[in-house]
This record gives sequence, C-alpha cells and structure tokens, in this order.
Amino acid sequence: MTKIFWVTCPYCKGEFYCHWQELRHKKIELLCPYCNRRFLDEESPKIVE
Amino acid sequence: MKSASKRKPAAGIVSIGRVATQSGAETRSLKDFLERLKRRLPDDLIYIDSAVSPAEFEVTALLQHLENEKKFPALFFAKPINLKGKPAAFPLLSNLFATRARCALALEMEPDQERLPLSLEYARREELLLSPVTIPGRDAPVKEVTKSGSAADLYELPVVRHHAMDPAPYIDMTPVMKDPDGGFYNAAFMRTMVKGERKLGLHMSPRHNWQIHRKHEEKKRPTPVAIVVSHHPAFYLGALNVSPFGVDDYARIGAIMGAPLRLTASETWGAEFMVPADAEMIIEGHVLPGVKEVEGPFGEFTGYYGPQRLRNVVEVTAITHRRDAVFQHIFTGHRDTWVLGGIPKEGSLFNLIRGIVPTTKAVHFPLSGCCRFNCYISIDKKVDGETKQAALAALGGCDFVKHVVVVDADIDIYSEEEVMWAVATRVQADQDVDIIKNVKGNTLDPSQTDNIMTAKMIIDATRPLQRPFAARVEVPKAAMQKTRLEDFIARATLDRLKRS
Repeated sequence: MTKIFWVTCPYCKGEFYCHWQELRHKKIELLCPYCNRRFLDEESPKIVE
Repeated sequence: MKSASKRKPAAGIVSIGRVATQSGAETRSLKDFLERLKRRLPDDLIYIDSAVSPAEFEVTALLQHLENEKKFPALFFAKPINLKGKPAAFPLLSNLFATRARCALALEMEPDQERLPLSLEYARREELLLSPVTIPGRDAPVKEVTKSGSAADLYELPVVRHHAMDPAPYIDMTPVMKDPDGGFYNAAFMRTMVKGERKLGLHMSPRHNWQIHRKHEEKKRPTPVAIVVSHHPAFYLGALNVSPFGVDDYARIGAIMGAPLRLTASETWGAEFMVPADAEMIIEGHVLPGVKEVEGPFGEFTGYYGPQRLRNVVEVTAITHRRDAVFQHIFTGHRDTWVLGGIPKEGSLFNLIRGIVPTTKAVHFPLSGCCRFNCYISIDKKVDGETKQAALAALGGCDFVKHVVVVDADIDIYSEEEVMWAVATRVQADQDVDIIKNVKGNTLDPSQTDNIMTAKMIIDATRPLQRPFAARVEVPKAAMQKTRLEDFIARATLDRLKRS
C-alpha cells in the first residue's frame, strides 16, 4: 500500500489513516469519518507514521 | 430544471423474460434476471419487507451476519430509507454477485456450470464485439423519469454506508467515460462518495477512465461521466472485461451479455454521450478539472480500508431512472466483489496460458486471494519447466496476480484444501519457490512496502518428473463402486450430516 499515517481526530478521538504523500504536512484539512469534522494533521493529538 | 415521466408505451413489444424489441434486438433487464433467479435458485434471493437504513450500516450489518454464518444470498430490500431519513422511492438490491452460480445464471448459463465452464464462456464472449444499437429516449426505460439540475438529488437514494471507517455512504457501481480522441466508451467499477445533494467524490486508479479524464483535464475541460447504478448483472460482469485501452466497452459488454447493448442519448450531452437504455438508473455528471478534495477512507476489495486521499469531484447534472427502478450496490471487500472480479480474469488467463502450456486444465482465482492476488493453475505436466511457463504467463497476463500456485491435474483447484495439500506434500521451498522482486503491484495491497512495486511468488506444487515420486493413497475403485453409502447409512441420516 502507499505510505500512510494514522491520525486521531481532536474532536471525537476517532482514529483513521491517510495517504502520506498527499496529506501529511500539506495544510489540507482532513475529514474525520466518524464525526465529520475537519482538522489539520498538526491538530491531531496523536499521529503514527 | 425538470422532473418528468415521459416514456410512452410502445405497441407490440413483448415484456416477458428476454424482451424482443420492435427492432428485433433482445434486451437484458435486471428485473428479467430477478425473475429468472427466483425460478432457478429460489433460495438465493431473499425479500426483506422491514424498513432498513443503509446509511446507518443496517444493510451491511445484515450481510456481515449472513457471511459469519457462511450464507451468501442476494438481498432485496423493499423499504430502504434514503439519505434524507425518509422511505426511498427505490428498493435496494445487495450481494447479487456473491456466488458463482448466480454469475453463471447472469450469463444465461446453468448454475452448475459455475466453475471452469463459466470462466471459459466469459473468455469466449470477451473475444467478440457486438455493436450497440441506438434507440430514442422515448423508448428507453432508463428515461421513464428524468431529473436534472436541482431536481437531481442524491439524497433521495438509498445509498449504502459499508464499513466503520467509511466517512459517508458510497455508490460503488460503474462510471462510464468516453475517450475524447477515439470516441470509445470505458466502464469500470469505482467508488464514489456522496458529498452533497449533487456532489460526489470519485476515486480513480491509474487505469482507463483515469486516462480519459487526464485527456480532458489537460485541456481544462470537465469530463462527462455516467454512473450506471443498476442494470442486469451481465452488464457488470461485462464491465470487468480486461480488454486493452481503446476497445469500446459498450460493444464488449454487449458481447458478454449476449445481446447488443441498447443505448440512448444522455440527458446532459445528448447524442454526444450515449448511455445504456435498459439500465435501472443512471447518474450523469462532470468530473471537474483541477479540483481535488479529501475522500475516503473506504473499505476496499482487499478487505482493508484504502486511505483518505485527495480525489476528484463529480458535479451531478442529472439522474434518470425507470419508474420502478431498483437501486444496486456491491458489498465491497467481501464475496460480492471478489467473485465478480475473479471470473473475467480466469477465462482470459486460461486462454493465454493454454496457448503456452497446452495441457492446462483450469485456472482459478480463489476467494482467499480476494479473487485477484492468488492464482491457482492445474496442468497435466509433460515436461519439467512447463510449470514456470504457465506461472509466468499468469503473472504477465494479469497485473493483479501476486502469488501463483501450479498443481497437477489430480488436484481440484476449486478446493483450497486440496491446493494446500499439494503445497504441503509436493513443495520443497528451496527448490520449488521463486520470488520475483520489483514488479508493478497494487496500491491497495497493505503488505506492499513500496508505493508501486511489489514482489511476486511462484510455487511449483507439481510432482517432479525427473525422479520417482510417492503415489497418492486411493481406496480401490472396484470397492468404491461395489460398496454404496446408501446401503449402509440411511439417506435421511446422510442429509442431516453437516459438511465439514
């Protein structure tokens, strides 16, 4: 699989993963699949990469 | 903006089973198929009258419960809830492709022809082209109701949210695009995330539709796209043909369906872009040039989620459907996608491999490899080395294939147990396993450590010809013929025994 990073939603604490090249450090808001809120990767309380 | 019911009944058209139109062309409709399914495999289709909410995982929860019990019927939900939380105007059909027997029936074959005969028949048809025929919109079932502009509303549909990490309901059927240079059409299964009443996120792998979109995007033009949401199952089996870029999928799908596809002008582009007239429902729209938004994660065919990505956006322009349209989805990441994807590949690979190793007996993509990554081949080996020839042909002929196991003709490759028995008893890993590094892989394979490249493996599980080899145990044939099970154990008792 393409390189991924796991993020934690700062609002609902739900965990999901994103495409590293397209979305890590890109200042693009990620969409939490659980609560539908948007946030930047740097706002995530936990990132695993 | 319009919302109209405009199809006039045409006199003299037979409407039972396969329909012969006034022009003489046979049609294939989903409802004809469902009638046939009820007659031939009555236990395979379950009608559910209770209301269900597909967007709240109720449909996939039921499918998962059934899967946990190793049961794979097609489910027809009469009263699904739409994305507005209200009863949808359309029933929902689910899990139609989860058995090979139903796929055989879709190609007008007998259910018991579900193994190699089905794959070979698919391969035979895949070498043909049947030019589509054009009919006026007033005769096209899919134009019985047309909604465009603000009347086209995705939220009216019973779209399914599949797995826990999916951020929204997804339509996971086949977008069709038209090549701007060659004028041919391409159909492919692709995931589309419902993002608004008239907005979809579209994930495209770098294959044919992606190439078509790139051509438009380079000229800063939107790409017309028509998503065939529901149709006869042979349409979808046909859409999975592995023809090279440039072959018109409408002609190929017609050949696989066994009848020319009837086309009609789209609502959005008129005769410039034709759509399947006998579909249940079609969503038309434009893939916007230069626009990408976050989309996913989505539970993919591998059984894992594909990551959230930046993907294309579709602006919906129209929805057209039959007056009594059925809405369809496939249960991605489960048998519904696996079986559907494997059959088209088996037949074409069988023909390719048999051209190189004439004693090839069968080719099968087992469920354990998502009907894509693992390929089992049986050959009646006459010379050592044929095994590798067959395996290399499989790897070259289908880029999904990652692991090839070649067995002798005494092994039933539709039985995982038999194939693994051959691996256990006929393979020495240091002599019979080959690994090929740095080959183009699949970005959705979670085991892959490189973005693009993967490692492939060939396991030669055939008996060597160069040295004496042990014989397989066998109860004498004469004893088997003379000693009948029913003479010793009652048939009723036998029928009660569970298969293990």
